[in-house]
Amino acid sequence: MYPEIDPVYDSDDTDVEEANTIGNIPLEFYDEYPHIGYDINGKKLMRPAKGAALDALLDSIEVPKGWTGMTDRNTGGDLMLTQEELEMVRKIQMGEVPVDGYDPYAPMVEYFTSKTEVMPLSAAPEPKRRFIPSKHEAKRVMKIVKAIREGRIVPNKPKEEEPQFYDIWADDAPSRPDHIMNIPAPKLPPPTHDESYNPPAEYLPTKDEKKAWEELDPEDRDKDYLPRKYSALRLVPGYDGFVRERFERCLDLYLAPRVRRNKLNIDPESLLPKLPSPQELKPFPTTTATIYRGHEGKVRTLGIDPSGVWLATGGDDGTVRIWEVLTGREVWKVKLGEDESVNTVKWRPGREAGILAAAAGDDVYLIMPPIFDHETEAAGKEVLSVGWGYAEVVKKNSLKKEPPAKWSKPSDKLAEVGVAAIVTVRISVKHISWHRRGDYFATVSPEGQNRAVAIHQLSKHQSQSPFRKSKGIVQRVEFHPFRPILFVATQRYIRVYDLAKQELTKTLQPGSRWISSFDVHSGGDNLIVGSYDKRLLWHDLDLSTKPYRTLRYHQKAIRSVKYHQGGLPLFCSASDDGTVQVFHGKVFGDLMENALIVPLKVLRGHVVKQALGVLDVEWHPRECWLFSAGADGTARLWN
Amino acid sequence: MPKIKKKGVSGNAKNFITRTQAVRKLQVSLPDFRRLCIFKGIYPREPRNKKKANKGSTQSTTFYYTKDIQYLLHEPVLQKFRDHKAFAKKLQKALGRGDFSDAKRLETTQKPVVRLDHIVKERYPTFTDALRDLDDALSMIHLFASLPTNENLPPATVVNCARLTKEWAHYVIRAGALRKSFLSIKGIYYQAEVGGGQEVLWLVPYSFAQDVPIDVDFRIMHTFVEFYTTLVGFALFRLYAIEGLVYPPRFDKDMDENAEAGERKDVEDLTIDTFTPAAASDQLPQPTPSQTTSTSTALFSGTTFYLSRETPREPLEFLLRSFGCKRIGWDAVLGAGAYTENSSDTSITHQIVDRPSTFPSPPPPSAAGGDNAPSTNAAATGRIPGRIYIQPQYVWDCINSGRLLPPGEYAPGALLPPHLSPWVKPGEGYDPTAALPDVEHNEEVEGSDNGMQEDLASDSEPEPEPVLPLPTTVTPIEGESSEEEEEEESEKNYQRELATEAAGAGLPAPSEQDMKKQKKKNKEKMSRQQREEEDQKEMKKIMMSRRKRKLYEKMLYSNAKKESEVEGLKRKRRRLEGERSKGKKGGKGSEEM
Repeated sequence: MYPEIDPVYDSDDTDVEEANTIGNIPLEFYDEYPHIGYDINGKKLMRPAKGAALDALLDSIEVPKGWTGMTDRNTGGDLMLTQEELEMVRKIQMGEVPVDGYDPYAPMVEYFTSKTEVMPLSAAPEPKRRFIPSKHEAKRVMKIVKAIREGRIVPNKPKEEEPQFYDIWADDAPSRPDHIMNIPAPKLPPPTHDESYNPPAEYLPTKDEKKAWEELDPEDRDKDYLPRKYSALRLVPGYDGFVRERFERCLDLYLAPRVRRNKLNIDPESLLPKLPSPQELKPFPTTTATIYRGHEGKVRTLGIDPSGVWLATGGDDGTVRIWEVLTGREVWKVKLGEDESVNTVKWRPGREAGILAAAAGDDVYLIMPPIFDHETEAAGKEVLSVGWGYAEVVKKNSLKKEPPAKWSKPSDKLAEVGVAAIVTVRISVKHISWHRRGDYFATVSPEGQNRAVAIHQLSKHQSQSPFRKSKGIVQRVEFHPFRPILFVATQRYIRVYDLAKQELTKTLQPGSRWISSFDVHSGGDNLIVGSYDKRLLWHDLDLSTKPYRTLRYHQKAIRSVKYHQGGLPLFCSASDDGTVQVFHGKVFGDLMENALIVPLKVLRGHVVKQALGVLDVEWHPRECWLFSAGADGTARLWN
Repeated sequence: MPKIKKKGVSGNAKNFITRTQAVRKLQVSLPDFRRLCIFKGIYPREPRNKKKANKGSTQSTTFYYTKDIQYLLHEPVLQKFRDHKAFAKKLQKALGRGDFSDAKRLETTQKPVVRLDHIVKERYPTFTDALRDLDDALSMIHLFASLPTNENLPPATVVNCARLTKEWAHYVIRAGALRKSFLSIKGIYYQAEVGGGQEVLWLVPYSFAQDVPIDVDFRIMHTFVEFYTTLVGFALFRLYAIEGLVYPPRFDKDMDENAEAGERKDVEDLTIDTFTPAAASDQLPQPTPSQTTSTSTALFSGTTFYLSRETPREPLEFLLRSFGCKRIGWDAVLGAGAYTENSSDTSITHQIVDRPSTFPSPPPPSAAGGDNAPSTNAAATGRIPGRIYIQPQYVWDCINSGRLLPPGEYAPGALLPPHLSPWVKPGEGYDPTAALPDVEHNEEVEGSDNGMQEDLASDSEPEPEPVLPLPTTVTPIEGESSEEEEEEESEKNYQRELATEAAGAGLPAPSEQDMKKQKKKNKEKMSRQQREEEDQKEMKKIMMSRRKRKLYEKMLYSNAKKESEVEGLKRKRRRLEGERSKGKKGGKGSEEM
């Protein structure tokens, strides 16, 4: 802080000797010297004597007031703040005005007064030129007057009017080439007969039509007038909507967005795809041949045995029934569950042993219906009984983990009827799928999470669940017809697992919300998927993970889809709308050629009950016969 | 690798601009922008992809083509709008100061005048283009010529529009350009062929005070009219020039508004044609086509019309004059300028009357048709012999059909034949002039008749035919019947025939029952076939893509709708005809009784 300057003569102290003249260089440069610089005369300024070590110690213990820890450049000593300066720092810190005696709210002193003076500042008299006319102006006025007199200027001359209309198209410009963005306004359509003041009587609206027209909002009416008939021209009144009509046309002209629309003027039939006629693609099922009646409640599922003679059905009444295919006679039946419905029945592939797997509730029943000859029955017994011994041995040896299913012998009552073994999965089983050799079968229990899929081995009476983690709710499982591949359908995706390598090879994305069922073509490269959102999707495994065709034709959810596995190029879908749609679906060996899909026939016959129609379908192993299970309590044979 | 395209710098995003953006860009107020758009004929667009055009937003907005707006930036009219704004400020200032003389001077000298001729040339580079857009302009001008003035509609505009309508009518008459006309409930439609084949269709309201709704924005309509008057003015200039006339024409103030001076002179030069009495044939004497005028434009060339005071003079005069009628007289009430105001003038050949007949029943058509109508009750009815009395619709129907129609149906007080639109082409949709297809009608009638007959037969005739022996009693001839694999029915028939032959009778007519069965069978077969076809179509639809299917269904729907409309009209007509015939029968019956 510098001392206040007293502005008196001799107060200028600019020529006062400056103590140190070294300028703006660090003082450390002089650390090695005894002096700290030079005065104006070039004499050395000596470093002030440093305090003793004790001083330094004392300083370190007690910080003196005003200590800054810096060195004064001029003197080489410590730079201390004075009491005054410390006070100023404190005031700044407190947010006060730093200087004493400063009034921030001092009254304003005006530089100029706001009062206007009445008296002139100058007392000089007005000059003469203010009282005599200007000669220069007179000259200019005379010039104008002269021009007016001579007629060069005509005052208030009316503007020269250009002709309002002239031949604007005189140059005969060629018409502009049509531009795509130039859309001329469409002309109003010419009036029709019904706008006549005297139309033919058939154009006049009836009372109902008139009422309907009047009740509609003016925007919704397709015509803005009602036809009227007047017997003479003199009776025709003025049209009250004339101004509004013109106004609306004006609005249309400048407000309505214009778009170019191509109007298709073709026969709608030409849009239909060219497909081979169904007559050329015979045979395919067309009519109901047999109706299998007997189930109380819905028929949930059906299966046709490998020989094609016996049809097994399972329903909500908890029974499994076996029918003779051609006559529709019920041959055999067993009641499996008391209050549980039979969710699925599947015959074991292979003709040598007639074994039927039926799932009701948590249990899978392996049944040997007593309808076959002795040889077949014996073979079946052997197939089923082999495992008991093996299971006993294994049980003794390993006790590490609880298996996903328990194999047990049926009660005497059931054994008498023909049930040979019961596999208890603990979670309700919805679907069974056999491996082609007939030794393995897979069960699906959608609520089972990571245990949803279980694979059971007939020869060893063993079960295992192949997946450690669940990847969604599993809907269906199928084996590949000839390769060690397992297809697992969750609600959204179908995962393809290689069983030999034990890895996921592909994930198909059908794009539907909820897959209900799927089937693999006997060639193994094609897949059809039915979904609860009414779609049928055809996947070509060689092409992509997305479907090759998506067809949507059922009114309700698709319950089941099936390929014909016996060599005929047929497939079908069953839906809750009570219909079964039969298709011709030919797969070509040539990779370049896409599969040919032709809709053949809609099979109607099942009655829709409680919004459920056809629940399951199955093809005959060889013939073009189709079996369907309906919610109306019947199963049908179509041929 | 191709250069990655940046979003929002090309295509839809660049081509379209919202209205707010356009207004900002031009720095004008919204009303000014609207006027500009109307003048320049700029209209909103519908971009292919709205989302892209709206920079990702899906809000509904009005889009303009960016180039349109860009061209507007240099529009002289836009500059005029700005000048007008400045002028308005100056004027306001002067008025505020009370400096009225200054305000008046400003008004007279500095007021910017918007001229639209360059826009007309720009919007319609060729004359044909202008004629193509004349429909709306003419309709609008004809409406405005008959509107009452208000604060948004200065009297000058109405006068201007009225003048233009007269000039247009004058041109159409002079060029013989009128082709068709139609009396609708909205007004009178006219169609003229102008400037080498361009067809112009306009609508003229009936001459009543117009009902002006309060929610109609007259500023918009006035802007349109401002442009349309310019357009029609230029078009008329050109058309008049083609005809060898001077535009604008000068109307004689002393004359009545509509009687042009030139025409009046023409009329006086004419000598009255000599009429040959109608030959015995049904054909009316049609005007002979001369070299200069075609038949259609000289339709009424040999006639003298007289308009009774209750008929609309202007449209009738316009029509008659355009179709070659030079001598038109009318009652003095209808204005000056008539060929004759004396209704008993002997040169009058046709009198148009639109009042109910005062005598009990209309004269038979044959009497009205001939020139030498019996004049026994002429004095009583106030009719003058030697002329044809007709209703106004006759003129329209003659023009639309292109020939003079027999006037019998159009006699005063008679029930007029329906007046049909000349623009509906025959073969499109329902044709009211065509006779109804008899098939269905007959079928219906037959069906009922057959039933009646059957009833009668069962009641009255105990055994119409000899009873046929039962097939079991007849021993079938071996071989033939067994070999031929016929249907049972035909077999039976065959046996029956044999039996009758054996009995010695000639070949009997196939019994009615058999016929019926056959018919029923055919019908079933047909329906089954149809059902199968329907099924096949349905199944083919499965294989269509969704887009095509939607299109297909839409087309089917619209076709079915059209058909159902036609069917509805036909059904109504059939019913009406049935009622009429029944009424006739009933009437006859009562007369007989």
